[in-house]
Amino acid sequence: MISLRAWCMRLRELFRGEQLDRELTDELTAHLEMHLADNVRAGMQPEEARRVALLKLGGLEQTKETVRDRRGLPVLEAFLQDASYAVRSLLRSPGITLVALLSLALGIGANTAIFSLMNAVLLKSLPVRDPAQLVLFGDGLDQGISDGFPNPWLYSYPFYREMQKDNQVFSGVAAAFSMNDRIHGFVTGRHEAEPMNVQLVSGTYFPLLGVQAVMGRTLSEQDDQTEGDHPVAVVSYAWWTRVLARDPSALSRNLTIGSAVFSIVGVAPPEFFGTKVGEAPDIWIPLSMQREIPPGFHGYHDNMFESLHLMARLKPGISISEASANVNLLFQQILRGFSDAPRTPENLLKLDKTRVELNSMTTGFSRLRRQFSEPLKILMAMVGLVLLIACANIANLLLARSTARARELAVRQALGARRGRLIRQLLTESLVLAVIGGALGVAFASWATHLLLNMVSDGREPLQLHVPVDIRLLLFTLAVTLATALLFGTVPAFRATHPDLTEPLKSGRSQSGGPAKGPLAKALVISQVALSLVLLVGAGLFVRSLLNLTNVDTGFNKESVIRLRVDPGSVGYKQDARLSNLYRQIEERVGALPGVRAASFSIFTFNEGTWNNPIWVDGYLSGHRDTEVHHNAVGTGYFAAMGIPVLAGRTFGPQDTATSPKVGVIGETMARTLFPVGSPIGRRYGRGERNAADIEVIGVVKDVKYNSLDETPQPGDYLPYAQNVRYLNDFEVRYSGDAAAAVSAIREAIHDVEPQLPVSDVMTLDQQVARSITNQRLVAQLSAFFGLLAVFLSCIGIYGLMSYLVTRRTNEIGLRMALGATRPKVLWMILQESLWLVGLGIAIGVPVALTGNHLVSHLLYGLPASDPLTLLGGVSALLAIAALAGYLPARRATRVDPMIALRYE
Amino acid sequence: MGDKKDVWQGTLALMVLKTLEMLGPLHGYGIARRIEQTSQDLLAVNYGTLYPALLKLEQEGYVASEWGISHNNRKAKFYKLTRAGHKQLQKESREWQQTTAILERFLSAKESLS
Repeated sequence: MISLRAWCMRLRELFRGEQLDRELTDELTAHLEMHLADNVRAGMQPEEARRVALLKLGGLEQTKETVRDRRGLPVLEAFLQDASYAVRSLLRSPGITLVALLSLALGIGANTAIFSLMNAVLLKSLPVRDPAQLVLFGDGLDQGISDGFPNPWLYSYPFYREMQKDNQVFSGVAAAFSMNDRIHGFVTGRHEAEPMNVQLVSGTYFPLLGVQAVMGRTLSEQDDQTEGDHPVAVVSYAWWTRVLARDPSALSRNLTIGSAVFSIVGVAPPEFFGTKVGEAPDIWIPLSMQREIPPGFHGYHDNMFESLHLMARLKPGISISEASANVNLLFQQILRGFSDAPRTPENLLKLDKTRVELNSMTTGFSRLRRQFSEPLKILMAMVGLVLLIACANIANLLLARSTARARELAVRQALGARRGRLIRQLLTESLVLAVIGGALGVAFASWATHLLLNMVSDGREPLQLHVPVDIRLLLFTLAVTLATALLFGTVPAFRATHPDLTEPLKSGRSQSGGPAKGPLAKALVISQVALSLVLLVGAGLFVRSLLNLTNVDTGFNKESVIRLRVDPGSVGYKQDARLSNLYRQIEERVGALPGVRAASFSIFTFNEGTWNNPIWVDGYLSGHRDTEVHHNAVGTGYFAAMGIPVLAGRTFGPQDTATSPKVGVIGETMARTLFPVGSPIGRRYGRGERNAADIEVIGVVKDVKYNSLDETPQPGDYLPYAQNVRYLNDFEVRYSGDAAAAVSAIREAIHDVEPQLPVSDVMTLDQQVARSITNQRLVAQLSAFFGLLAVFLSCIGIYGLMSYLVTRRTNEIGLRMALGATRPKVLWMILQESLWLVGLGIAIGVPVALTGNHLVSHLLYGLPASDPLTLLGGVSALLAIAALAGYLPARRATRVDPMIALRYE
Repeated sequence: MGDKKDVWQGTLALMVLKTLEMLGPLHGYGIARRIEQTSQDLLAVNYGTLYPALLKLEQEGYVASEWGISHNNRKAKFYKLTRAGHKQLQKESREWQQTTAILERFLSAKESLS
């Protein structure tokens, strides 16, 4: 048995071969000389002494060879030799090698990257104790505050407490505010406001999840007993690292938010990102402190302030359906028991029909999932197809290569190389190719994952996702490509090293006996063409759909508008006249800047959520109660700043104050549906169930898009913030000239009015609109890339096959030309063959594309999945590119010199 | 010299180790001479067998080598026994003695039977 030590020594000897050789020679020479000297001393003549010594000791070189064999690791050396030979032989055909490597790298990399992201968004379990026992009430998609009755998606704090007290199926229930507050706060002793993403949670939240603090403690039920007296905060590991530089004394620090001072009591573990995938909060604060966190909610005791997501842990042995029965019973009882609930007969009838759906929370929950699960699945399918095409390509290239080398192999075998040794060498070559390709793939995968995450994060808020490259998928794709390389690299090798040597030796360049490039290669090319057509047409649909979206009329003019967010709540402003005054002052100051045409605050601009209420109109007693309208509270300059055309009446002016009669401006859809007869100007309406019809319509403006570019026209109105005091954190400025200069001037003007006011999320309105179609753009860009990649790979396939066929038919072509065939005729003959392949591929691809694209029809905007123009475009583009790929080898065929070609016979 | 026996496999290593134990650090030629002398010139050690054996022992860590000067002022590579080599020597000599004892008993038993 050879010990580990011996292996190590041998490994070292491997790298000191020359030196060891020299030493051995010295040693043996010394031995010989000592022997000689002894012989001479024994009385021999020098000549004889030498003869006897050499005779006895045996051959010098032979000994060296024996010793050398013992040294090092012969198997490894042979492998290294093979590998270096393989690299040289791959470099001899750099084109093929490059394409094979690229196919491998892109195939492996793209699949791994997309799967890794999909895994992070859709599949990974929450890093908490026993996530499989957790259930969520409803789907977690609704965010915000509602007073609807009944509402099985959002719950009030009193409801949470009742459910916690009365249920028999859960070992614990917890609540989390459905929105994160993106606010600003001050670390004690610092003057810069820190942006922070605050998640309000019940005291049971951390115990329910079984998450322990890495430092200090998490929140507990004691922090959430009575309102307002537990100003404590748990910070995330990332925030602790980023803002506090992992300060070990973080627990003695305080955070000032608004007018309250919170003490940091703990740091959450690094892997814990909360329960919503993609929205890692920075700070967790007990719900008992909600009034202190801007905008200062008053929901702690309000039965109808429905703003929470509820989650619970099943008792052992209880199934979701058993739990569901108990929960629904309680849901009915608790809501009926709320004395202040709007228990009209109509609402109670609705309550009878409403059921709470319990969903497994193993993987957390996320709006992200709704947004990206489908695009990711589509992209996954696309890269899967690209991987198939890449494998087909590698197969074809290696087939061509090893077939072309049949002669070389035959020669080497004839010269005495053992068959096993040759096969081992060919295997090594495929292996080297696959390993290099795999390494490139891994590098590409980690790069592509980052790129992808950046593309996805181009949404409203940066995505907080941890996306490690998925090792399992990486191994899978590596295995697939390795298997392809080995299979197609060696099967022809076995065939090529067949004992029958004479055939390839005889046939020279025109291997008439090589059937390896027959039907198999053609089938590969045909399927490549079919697959790339599917991808190309799909990509065409997505790109056109994206173009349609970007050309949608938003109703406002998105050019030359800067919008940003301010956070007056975090520097102590309450929702009162002082706040409205701040807004007015900033509007005036910024509006007076040179180059600024209009400036206004508002709650929203576009794709930032909505504030909805049912409204009712004087004179319509029924039938319109359920008409929900999107409200927005705005400044007087809003319509000018956003460029929303006024169709009738007037917009807000200085005469609309807190004490003047209430006024509103409505959109054209609202005007048309709620005031169908006569002019709406001067008519009145009320919002919410409890308000009188006290809002007078003073103007009608053009409809705008609220949340997405593809939404249908929505009814909406605008109210002056002077009459609706609340936090309006969006600020829009229409400017002319340089954007960067305008931004710094605006910042300065804001800080002239309120030096500490935090300003964030500065971007142009155009960017904001673009961000609303992030996933459409993601799909369009990536599918276009993969579609083109697929076409490119297929063309390489066609080119390779046709080149090979032309080489094989050199004699035939020469003969034809000698017999009088014209060049165009030869050209056509060859081209025809490649067009046949492409035609067949397209014929198969068209029905597949039509069927496949129906699956994505609901993701398209403004065109059907069977859009003939796109299909036609795809087919003709593919035809043109493929014809070019076939034309190049065909042209080479026409250059054949008949004399030279014939001489080969 | 044709009637001299070549050392057979496996025993050479043991002889080398024993030689080094008796004589201390020694070069390859010295080892070869010593083995030949001890065998009263019944064994011939050529370097085609000696040097691969020495390399093997060195790889296994039983001997260590070092360049030095021989007593007739020649540069030569000296081999010496390592601690592991001492142990190995004891172990192998014990095994070898056992083997020969068994074989001897076996052979004499055979004689008495016949």
